[in-house]
Amino acid sequence: MVNPIHIVSIALGVAFALGFLGKREKLALGIVYTALAVMLAISASWLSHFWGNVTEPIQIFTGGFKPPFAINLQMGLAESVFTLLINTAGLLGAIYLANELLKAGKNMMIVFLVLVLGLNVMVMTRDLFNLFVFMEIQSIAIAGLVILNPDRKSIPAGFKYVIATGLISSLLLLGTVFIYYFGGTLNIDFISQESLLYVKGGSVAIFLVLLSIVLELKPFPANGWALDVYEGAHPGIGALISAASATAGVFVLDKLMVFGNFTFFNAISIIGAITFLGSNLLGIKQDNTRRLLGYSSVGQIGLIMTIIGLKPYLGENTKFIALAILLSHYLAKAGLFWLAGMVNADKLKDWGAIRGHRIYLFLMGTFIFTLVGFPPFPSFFGKWQLVMQLANNHHFWLLAIILIGSFFEGVYLFRWLGYAIKWDEVEQNYPKIKLNQFIPTVIFAVLAYALGFYFGELSGYKSTFIYMAAAFIAFLYIFDFLPVFVKNTLAIGAMALYYFANQDTFHGLTSIFFIIFVIGGIITLLAGYTFKGKRTGFYPLVMMMFAGLIGLLEAKTTLEFFFAWELMTAGSYFLIIRGKKSMEHALSYILFSVGGAYLILSGFGIAQIGHTGMGLDVLKDVHYYAPIAFTLMAIGFMTKLASIGLHIWLPGAHAEAEADVSPMVSAILLKAGILGLVMLFLSMGPQKLFGIDVLYVLSWVGVLTALMGNMMAAFQEDAKRLLAYSSIGVLGYALFGLTMMSHLGWLASLSIVVTHFMFKSLLFLAIGGVVMRTKTKYMYQMGGLIKQMPFSFVSVLIGIIVIAGLPPLTGFGGKWLMFNAIMENGWYFQAGIAFFAGVISFLYCFRLIHTIFLGQPKDELRNVKEAPFWMLVPQYIIITILLVLSALPNSMLKPIGQILLNYFPDGALVWHGQLAIGPYGYWNGKLILAIVTIIFLAVFAWLYIINRKAQKVKQFNIVYAAERPFRPETTHFAYNFYAPYQKALGFLVAPGITNFWDAVSDGAHAIADKIRSIYNGNGQTYLAHILGFTVIVYILMNGGF
Amino acid sequence: MEFGIKQILYLLLTLFIVLNYGLILQGIMPKIAARVGRRYGIRWYQPYLDLIKNHAKRSKITHGVMYYLGPVFRLTGGIGLLLFLPVIYGSPVFGNLSFAGDLTLVLFFQFFGVLGMALGAGESGHPHSAIGVSRGLSQVTALELPLTLGVISIAMQYHTLNISDIVAAQQGGVMNWTIVTNPFAGAALMLTFLGSMGRAPFDVVMAPQEIPIGPPTEYHSGFLGVLQLNRAIFPVAKLILFMNLLYGGATSWPELFIKTFFIYLWSVFVGVAFPRFRVDQSVRWFLGVPLLFGIIAILLI
Repeated sequence: MVNPIHIVSIALGVAFALGFLGKREKLALGIVYTALAVMLAISASWLSHFWGNVTEPIQIFTGGFKPPFAINLQMGLAESVFTLLINTAGLLGAIYLANELLKAGKNMMIVFLVLVLGLNVMVMTRDLFNLFVFMEIQSIAIAGLVILNPDRKSIPAGFKYVIATGLISSLLLLGTVFIYYFGGTLNIDFISQESLLYVKGGSVAIFLVLLSIVLELKPFPANGWALDVYEGAHPGIGALISAASATAGVFVLDKLMVFGNFTFFNAISIIGAITFLGSNLLGIKQDNTRRLLGYSSVGQIGLIMTIIGLKPYLGENTKFIALAILLSHYLAKAGLFWLAGMVNADKLKDWGAIRGHRIYLFLMGTFIFTLVGFPPFPSFFGKWQLVMQLANNHHFWLLAIILIGSFFEGVYLFRWLGYAIKWDEVEQNYPKIKLNQFIPTVIFAVLAYALGFYFGELSGYKSTFIYMAAAFIAFLYIFDFLPVFVKNTLAIGAMALYYFANQDTFHGLTSIFFIIFVIGGIITLLAGYTFKGKRTGFYPLVMMMFAGLIGLLEAKTTLEFFFAWELMTAGSYFLIIRGKKSMEHALSYILFSVGGAYLILSGFGIAQIGHTGMGLDVLKDVHYYAPIAFTLMAIGFMTKLASIGLHIWLPGAHAEAEADVSPMVSAILLKAGILGLVMLFLSMGPQKLFGIDVLYVLSWVGVLTALMGNMMAAFQEDAKRLLAYSSIGVLGYALFGLTMMSHLGWLASLSIVVTHFMFKSLLFLAIGGVVMRTKTKYMYQMGGLIKQMPFSFVSVLIGIIVIAGLPPLTGFGGKWLMFNAIMENGWYFQAGIAFFAGVISFLYCFRLIHTIFLGQPKDELRNVKEAPFWMLVPQYIIITILLVLSALPNSMLKPIGQILLNYFPDGALVWHGQLAIGPYGYWNGKLILAIVTIIFLAVFAWLYIINRKAQKVKQFNIVYAAERPFRPETTHFAYNFYAPYQKALGFLVAPGITNFWDAVSDGAHAIADKIRSIYNGNGQTYLAHILGFTVIVYILMNGGF
Repeated sequence: MEFGIKQILYLLLTLFIVLNYGLILQGIMPKIAARVGRRYGIRWYQPYLDLIKNHAKRSKITHGVMYYLGPVFRLTGGIGLLLFLPVIYGSPVFGNLSFAGDLTLVLFFQFFGVLGMALGAGESGHPHSAIGVSRGLSQVTALELPLTLGVISIAMQYHTLNISDIVAAQQGGVMNWTIVTNPFAGAALMLTFLGSMGRAPFDVVMAPQEIPIGPPTEYHSGFLGVLQLNRAIFPVAKLILFMNLLYGGATSWPELFIKTFFIYLWSVFVGVAFPRFRVDQSVRWFLGVPLLFGIIAILLI
């Protein structure tokens, strides 16, 4: 093994030697790379030495004396990991900066080497004064690097940095001096053994030392100087500061925390949490890329500080959590800074220039999802573990702060990602890929996945299914150049294979969702054959969403469930944002999803308190705060269902999606929320929160959602929005049915869920086909399309009859069951609202079919063709199923009823053939269909006999007060179709909830804007912040001076 | 239950009786309304003449398939509704097809014809048809809330959704009728009944007195004839439903005629006494007093 001291000696030696090279910059750079590579190799070799071996760290003595007479360095597992991280970032960062280093010359290379050296020693040294010296060195080196790349912002930023770190260093020095005075030594290992804390002066000394390290880590709000540096420095330097320097800083803090007592730990965790929350809140107001990354860096480091501060509670788990989050931050932040350097777009919106570029977007997406903590990245597992541990220790406030902070981080990161994917008001301009910049970034992205896998293993996450799915998704991504036809066939084949391999695996209620997810997926995928070309990026995302959905069914533990949940969310986000005008809707979708997911996560956290395993059955036996856990999870799942109050994301997201994506996200994806509720309600049963029956409240939420959704649908001009609102309404019913917690209620609910899958796929596909042909979603711009698109017309006709719940088709079954269930249950007022809402669905149903297919055809749409064949195929498959189910209702309801008997043995239906007998009524679907058909045919025959010679007439041949209209636009009654209704009841759907969320968003932005005004760019102010921060923390910790 | 030729004949007989009764009511009721207004009014057999006239028209046009099927849907809805009801209490043969479904079926099947007809009218391309549909649907949704509450109240009162059982429970004299035993549900139902009969103050949907408006605007000849058949059958079916729910049903045809006549007269009575509502007014009205009655009916169960 090479002595770790050579990390220092090589860096120093090379830095000196560079001076002798004259003007041979390239050679100098080569030597620098070699030096960094050797340093990296030394760290790596030590890591491999310590990996898996429980050996004591080795001590390196300088000058041949043992401490405390000389400085000693230490190399153990932790040191080897951290120096490896630093040296990797150093080497790759230097490669990334090749051009800048060559341009700026040897001096900059020397400074660069010195920086890396300083960071290495900060990690390894065990001597306090030595630590101080090398922290100074790295500060000056950073300032130098910032200034060496001169532009309008970097010079003042570097200057402020020097002043601020100078002040911080003097605090550290002061502390060091006092420690030496009171403790008699500067060696960390010796100091910790002294009881400095019991001497007043000693505790001040420790305070100064620790606080100066905290200040180095840029706590909110004393961090204006750091933000200016992030903004002003070259992104390559920013990456180094954020990834390497912060990593070293975190290590130093952890190392020195041996001095601290409980109060210090608490203080650190609180400072960290405030930093995390504050920086991320301020981040939402940012529109400068690098400053935004600065806020995010500061926030992430704050989070890690919190974790270090929580060490007394987290115990053994600290290492895992801190490393998972630190590594994610390290990889993602360096990656994003590097990307920012490549794309070179100052404002977030300018990132629209790379829209459509697969590779850049892939990298950016990877890093952003890593930061936010999505699977499969390490931060996901870290955050999961952190939440579980916080809950175990009853740290609910901290839990809330961290999740809210994470949410804010999601707000600005996803907004940024959205701009990059979709913002089309800037010119598309792909920066040329420079290999020296590109390769480091790719390496970090790959590492993010690899480490995610590793941390998953460590957390005990193993899901063969997800691994297989991931492999398939990767395959589809790599072979994305294949034509749609091939990829679609592969996707369908994979789903079919999964179906046949697992058709007997799922029993009970999951089997219903299994059919909806898998068969539903196959049917909607069929429509994909409509598309020509490659449809780049579509199939990996679709498969990601379906993998997530199926993962929910496969999940055995809460972790697996949550993993699948997040995977599904990520996949669907990318699918939704593919729509032409989806940017803001996808953002609101992902934000609501992330918010909902955090509620679910906290619910899981609370539920597992006192349990050792993570199996899903912990929900059946929640020891503490069960009603709170229940409510949190219920709200989380209802976010996906878009229940009233949480619905505002849905209409835009579903309406703006592509023709075949809408049915997937509407008819299939929403069922994930139902699945969650089913699982939750069955496991936990009714709960009382502060004496109020939560399910009772949810029953009102359900019916009000149904009412509001349906009424909103009736007032839409956009056909797809109409359908989206209708989904909200129908799922409101489903929620209502579930809250009844009875056999019939659940049967009604689940039958609605199944039929909703069918009619909503049918309608979205049909309307999608129409929109493809007419190029508009506004119904009043259409009209009279029945002649051009008869097949689509029939689809919509069947769809609306089912939605409206009219006999003789199968939708009536849901209504009938609901009636019986309510009678049994006694929630009559909810019932009244539910049926009122049901009748309102007639309004939008009629509007949908009338204004599109009936009425007056428009001139510009006279030549549209029938929807594409492959759009019609899935529709007619669904129609066939619907008709069969209408004729034989027991083929669906009886098996569901059988399943429900396991959970709700009482109150089942009695079947005599197709005659269902409930506690209050009866219904024979087959007979009704037969009777209606016979009457219909008889009447038709009669009319045909008397009217067979009816003459077909042309458009406008109508009785029109002796006039002959000639403009279809003025003759087609379509716009604002229910004007009187709106006049009478429109106030019920005034956009109160949208306004509420807008106000929340505006409020957050306003607060962020107000707070960030403390960063006035003035160096003196920043110094005052640092001092003020020190004083305030001191007072708060000690209760006075 | 055996279902043979005999039953089918009885079905047809029911249809025949109801059709004629409906046509006569269609003649008499306008006459009554006219007399209230000191006019002479039409002859009581005018609907028969209209029916014959419409079927005999030689000029017939069609706007398309859906237009053609509209009246078929409408009449199917009317006939179906009638046949799903137990018409004469205690009579197995005039129980017709009520064994196929309960009150829920009847309540929802009402809309089958309405929606089909609306689609047919839509294809004619006449804006007045669409306006009529828009108004009609708006009004019908509003009356649904008090109606549902009333129906639930009654169903809970008798613990069943089976119409025959509801009728059975009311036997034994006027004091057992729902309208007496559950007056608030009865009031809610009778007020919503006004809305469903298409008379003033809720007749802006058809606006029969002035310009032609409403779904049938473009219908003529045989199409209008079919619609007219429905206009005879459908109201009577509804009358029978209300009679069954509120007034103890009928054990014989004469009883049925008398009861339904007076129920019908109620809507005529209100119609001649009150002026017409605009749609937004009627929507709000249904969500006022009738809703209040519905809520009270639920609270009092």
